[in-house]
Amino acid sequence: MRVCNRQWLIAGLAALVLGFAAPVTAADTSSAQEQAARQQVQPGNNAPVWRDVRGGDNPYQTTQVRGVETEVLVQTEGETWRQLRNHVITVYGGWLLVLMAALVGTYYYFKGPIRLHEKPTGRSLLRFSYWERTVHWGVAISFVLLAVTGVIIMFGKHILLPIIGYTLFSLIAQLSKLIHNFVGPVFAVCTVLMFATYVKDNIPKAHDLKWLANAGGLFSGKHVPSGRFNAGEKTWFWIGVTGLGVVVSVTGFVLNFPNFAQGRELMQLSNVLHGISALLFVTMSMGHIYLGSVGVDGAYDAMRTGYVDEIWAKEHHEYWYRESVAADPAKGGGGAANPAAASPMKEGWK
Amino acid sequence: MARMKFLCDAERCIECNGCVTACKNEHEVPWGVNRRRVVTLNDGLPGEKSISVACMHCSDAPCMAVCPVDCFYKTSEGVVLHDKDLCIGCGYCFYACPFGAPQFPQDGAFGLRGKMDKCTFCAGGPETDHSATEFRKYGRNRLAEGKLPACAEMCSTKALLGGDADIIADIYRTRVLKRGKGADVWGWGTAYGKPERAPTPPAGAKS
Repeated sequence: MRVCNRQWLIAGLAALVLGFAAPVTAADTSSAQEQAARQQVQPGNNAPVWRDVRGGDNPYQTTQVRGVETEVLVQTEGETWRQLRNHVITVYGGWLLVLMAALVGTYYYFKGPIRLHEKPTGRSLLRFSYWERTVHWGVAISFVLLAVTGVIIMFGKHILLPIIGYTLFSLIAQLSKLIHNFVGPVFAVCTVLMFATYVKDNIPKAHDLKWLANAGGLFSGKHVPSGRFNAGEKTWFWIGVTGLGVVVSVTGFVLNFPNFAQGRELMQLSNVLHGISALLFVTMSMGHIYLGSVGVDGAYDAMRTGYVDEIWAKEHHEYWYRESVAADPAKGGGGAANPAAASPMKEGWK
Repeated sequence: MARMKFLCDAERCIECNGCVTACKNEHEVPWGVNRRRVVTLNDGLPGEKSISVACMHCSDAPCMAVCPVDCFYKTSEGVVLHDKDLCIGCGYCFYACPFGAPQFPQDGAFGLRGKMDKCTFCAGGPETDHSATEFRKYGRNRLAEGKLPACAEMCSTKALLGGDADIIADIYRTRVLKRGKGADVWGWGTAYGKPERAPTPPAGAKS
């Protein structure tokens, strides 16, 4: 009768708030009352009960077995989740990854890496501090581990399993699940640190619109000036790292800690959101990883050593270059440069 | 060959939980794992009904469809079984199952659930019939002994029927005709409403 009392309490509160008791009360307790009424006129007719069962969330269901949702006879959302996961996320998500990989590959094949137009000066600028690099690689390494293991769990059944067989694939999937579940929280913490570290230079500015309008000169080869981070990087920061990062982290925690007695519906919803946002995240990351490695000469060294050549700064992030030079008059060709001594990454330039 | 199904007659079930006890005893399932449970609807109200529920061994089993390591298989009798050696404990079968059948020995942090366990229709698993390993992992293999599931055999009111679908449907039809009510075959639409999937060999044997 506990549940029954709660129903009346809810109905009473609703009546107080809304001021019309009858419709609310009727809606809240209809199923059980309907069955009771049906019992009087048609003793053999249990239709109201079965309607509740199929609905899956009858508050009057009880069971002796302890556990989460053990009193639910049928949960219909599982089928929806199955259709979404098996036929929407797996199929479209999988082709999205293939398409992005193909686009990046095609771009590299036809355009090749973006090289410097002028000769490097040999004078270097500090682009990323030790802390900034640590945070970046913390996120990057955990992200790649999560992406690879996530892809194995999602698509391995269709791609790896037919090739390597059940026993080996199960072992790999088991390992993937463990890595995914333990690295996940590390990624979430690193993402928070990354946001705090990089947010100040990712505030959108007016000149970002011009950069976006020209697609950063990615296809035209035209020079478009930008601040410390260009509009592409800012988009990646806000939509990727921040937006998708928060969604995958929050939904990941829901799935990773089933010991908080959350129900299946919440977990199905989390799984769907986790899958969609993770696939978009991986798709975007391919662009970022490409441009940060083979796509732009000097970009990888910037994040590895922290330093870039002044010409690199001028050609890729002109406004940032000018600010840096203005802050330190010794830079920007003002001082008597000693290229060999000033550049810790001299070997990086061909 | 016979197509095995469960049928619970809500007009007869008295919520004695004998089936639950029979199952636990027969298979010596660990604490916290409940392969079968009894749910009471409209408890304490006129028209109260109870139903015993476990894995229904669906025609188009959602657990089979979503398993990322494809550890499920279906016997020629329509019984849905799984290979615990392949199971990674991800919980996807538990999200997909309409009946809440998949059980996990743990619900630990970081998704450490252990190997999934569920009703086997007393048909054991992919291990050798009647072996100690089979019993430890999946419980007793009564079907291989020519017996029906322990829960249905133990049912004091014969509310729970388990066996060849044609036979149990016949029994139920006769009952409905005699008593003139209670024709709702609970769960059959959900479990057997879709086209039957072809039987598959155990996953281990496929590779």
